[in-house]
Amino acid sequence: MDVPHAVGGPAPVESGRAALEVSPLPGRAGIRARGEISVLTRPSWEQALSELARRHAGVSYVELSDVAFVDVAGVTALAITAMNLPDGRVVVENPPPQLPRVLEMFWPGLDRIEVASR
Amino acid sequence: MSTVTTREAFVHPALFYRTEQEYTQQTVAFLSEGLTNGEPMAVAVPGPNLELIKAGLGGDAEGILFLDMTEAGRNPGRIIPKVLRGFADAHPQGRVRIIGEPIWAGRSAVEYPACAQHEALINAAFEGRAVTILCPYDEVRLDPQVIADAKVTHPTLISGEGRESVSSVYDWQAVVDRYNQELVPAPDAVAFAFGDEDLPAVRQFALAQAMRLGMAGERLMDVELAVAELTTNSVVHGGGHGTLAVWAEQGQLVCEVRDAGRLTDPLAGRRPREHGQLGGRGLMMVHYVADLVRVHTSDDGTTVRFYLSL
Repeated sequence: MDVPHAVGGPAPVESGRAALEVSPLPGRAGIRARGEISVLTRPSWEQALSELARRHAGVSYVELSDVAFVDVAGVTALAITAMNLPDGRVVVENPPPQLPRVLEMFWPGLDRIEVASR
Repeated sequence: MSTVTTREAFVHPALFYRTEQEYTQQTVAFLSEGLTNGEPMAVAVPGPNLELIKAGLGGDAEGILFLDMTEAGRNPGRIIPKVLRGFADAHPQGRVRIIGEPIWAGRSAVEYPACAQHEALINAAFEGRAVTILCPYDEVRLDPQVIADAKVTHPTLISGEGRESVSSVYDWQAVVDRYNQELVPAPDAVAFAFGDEDLPAVRQFALAQAMRLGMAGERLMDVELAVAELTTNSVVHGGGHGTLAVWAEQGQLVCEVRDAGRLTDPLAGRRPREHGQLGGRGLMMVHYVADLVRVHTSDDGTTVRFYLSL
């Protein structure tokens, strides 16, 4: 994932169509996502998370300030990725409000994920 | 009421009480037995009844988990995953003992079918497990039909004086079926027909309608999450498309999703998942955030609606 890629429609992301672009974070370990995380963009999100896990060393960052929505399955994929890491943690920056809501509902006290809120 | 608990794995008696005195006497006797056996115990009943039980137990109340069922179990659909299995799964060693009172005078006619189905589904959810759940019913203030249904959803019946009998009409599946009732949207509902490409648009539509009808704050996020889940289910499992209807009634926002699928698992959305398990949390999330969830399913399709207070 060295180049941004889009699923569900051509970039740039248009409102009304579900698309997700994921790209590496410049200067830090991790990814930046743009668009929405839902059933229509699931493959792209899960692929990005497995790549993140593969490269993980200590702390990985997931920057979500341009993600407007994430569904329960999207949060689940992130939580399970974080739980399966051999060590360290995932810092989720500026997630949409559904993310902390769903994390608290199903994985309260999960210390593998640190949420740095909007 | 002393012997059944040791014979069978899952024990699910209904207690029919007529006075506060009977209520206190029988619930305290039930909990004292658990104390003697060293069983982990939880009590989830309406607030005033919590006080009766606490007063009756005195110092013995220590160590028992007390929950106000009008909050924890406002939506009866979340009582199994969140309250009952939540407690039972946290105490996997040996038998656990719970008092659960999900039906009180004041439950509405819209809520009751979901309450009766919940009572029925407890039997399926705990089959074979070393759990005892006593369900008190207010024989004076509840409708006679409610009392009649309780005899169908509970294999064991206990009178206010503590006399125990086997229910001759026990047949929980019949109650699940009886309250699988057709749901019709309100005449002033606004509707949006969606296919897979429309999932973001139908979510936006739900948000806009919820705001128009007076929903604000955190609950808007819950509307968006729940509508996303139900519409996604229609696209993935319900024939690829469906219709969302939104309206307000009796101070509540109602969102209803209709599709061509059939819900074959009556416990869908009520089975807690292991932390590391993928999938299966969508409908449970709807149960967790909503004040009420109603479902109708048949060969002609499935309708799921949720209610959120405005």
